Amino acid sequence: MSLTQAPILETERLILRGPEPRDIEPVIAFLLDEARAGGFGAAPNRGEAWRWFALNVGHWHIHGYGYFSIEMKDTGETVGISGIWNPEGWPEPELGWVVFDGFEGKGIAHEAAERARRYAYQDLGFTTLTSNIVPGNTRSVALAERLGAWFEREYENIHMGHDLLYRHPGPGDLFERDADDDGSVEAYA
Amino acid sequence: MTLSRIPTIETRRLVLRGPTPEDYPDFKATFSSYRSRFMGGPLNKYEAWMLYAAEIGHWEIRGFGMWMIHDKDSDATLGMAGGWFPAAWPEREIAWIIWPNKAGKGYALEATSAVRRYFYETQGWDGAVSYIDPKNLDSIRLAERLGAVKDKDARTIDGNDAVYRHPSPERLKSGQIADGIELEISHYCDPLFKPKGMPLD
Repeated sequence: MSLTQAPILETERLILRGPEPRDIEPVIAFLLDEARAGGFGAAPNRGEAWRWFALNVGHWHIHGYGYFSIEMKDTGETVGISGIWNPEGWPEPELGWVVFDGFEGKGIAHEAAERARRYAYQDLGFTTLTSNIVPGNTRSVALAERLGAWFEREYENIHMGHDLLYRHPGPGDLFERDADDDGSVEAYA
Repeated sequence: MTLSRIPTIETRRLVLRGPTPEDYPDFKATFSSYRSRFMGGPLNKYEAWMLYAAEIGHWEIRGFGMWMIHDKDSDATLGMAGGWFPAAWPEREIAWIIWPNKAGKGYALEATSAVRRYFYETQGWDGAVSYIDPKNLDSIRLAERLGAVKDKDARTIDGNDAVYRHPSPERLKSGQIADGIELEISHYCDPLFKPKGMPLD
């Protein structure tokens, strides 16, 4: 049962789709795990974690975008979330990613975030994107850099406090060769 | 229940519709103000926006939620009323909030009794509670005008709230409670005489 109007996106191994009721428990489990969710914004209790799930659904309705659930094509498991985040008070629309316990180290976050970024640029018409990373979250910094993003500035985030802002390459940097590419081989002939 | 299918409820003076992004500034103004002190506020703009997004998400996940209360004539928003049942809540709650400059006209009474009737008659609820800060005297008085009674044995959210239990659908149908509510609302609509004392929600 879909709770949003989110599209369904695919990558080689993953499906990105809107949040569904079956994602509630995995998302809550992640948000209650202070060690893993600290860089994202951990929830102090189950009530707050549930509320985050609900407000992501509302985020989709208000903005028309939000966090996708990342589903493994082969097992159907929900293994993380990735998408575009822009609550009031945020410096700019942000590309975010999270992979749940037990699914790290497989390149899932990279594969999902790259697809969500392409969706934001090619389907939603975004011209730039950022990622906000709390200082010390070296894993996220490494992934941001693998995605081609670079450190731009430090700032005070209204929710997270002291924060690092990374800027992603724009659509022109990423897709310039796609302008007249119809996907066929002769496009390059 | 998708947002586009949230039912509209009409009362004598009000139209209740699902919350939309356009209504957010009114919500934000109240939840940034002292008025929201018994509902977790005042909130900063990030927190207010996130709570509003959660209000919308609640409808999708639970199939019910908080309606935006509109004035039937002007369409201006006056507050919110409806059902609220996030993960930490022991029971389904009937909740309300009226914007500070719209208080004292009986809007909360009119809207809340209408949403309660909707939950009982259309969604089959067999009861409901309201979780109220013991210092929130206006809300306690409204709960009592709605026929709710303090339930000392019921589980609270976190020990800092009092539980008011609403009359069951059967009691609401048969007793004087509904007549009393209708009489009070009709006095607001046609103020032949006004209630004395403090402004009432």
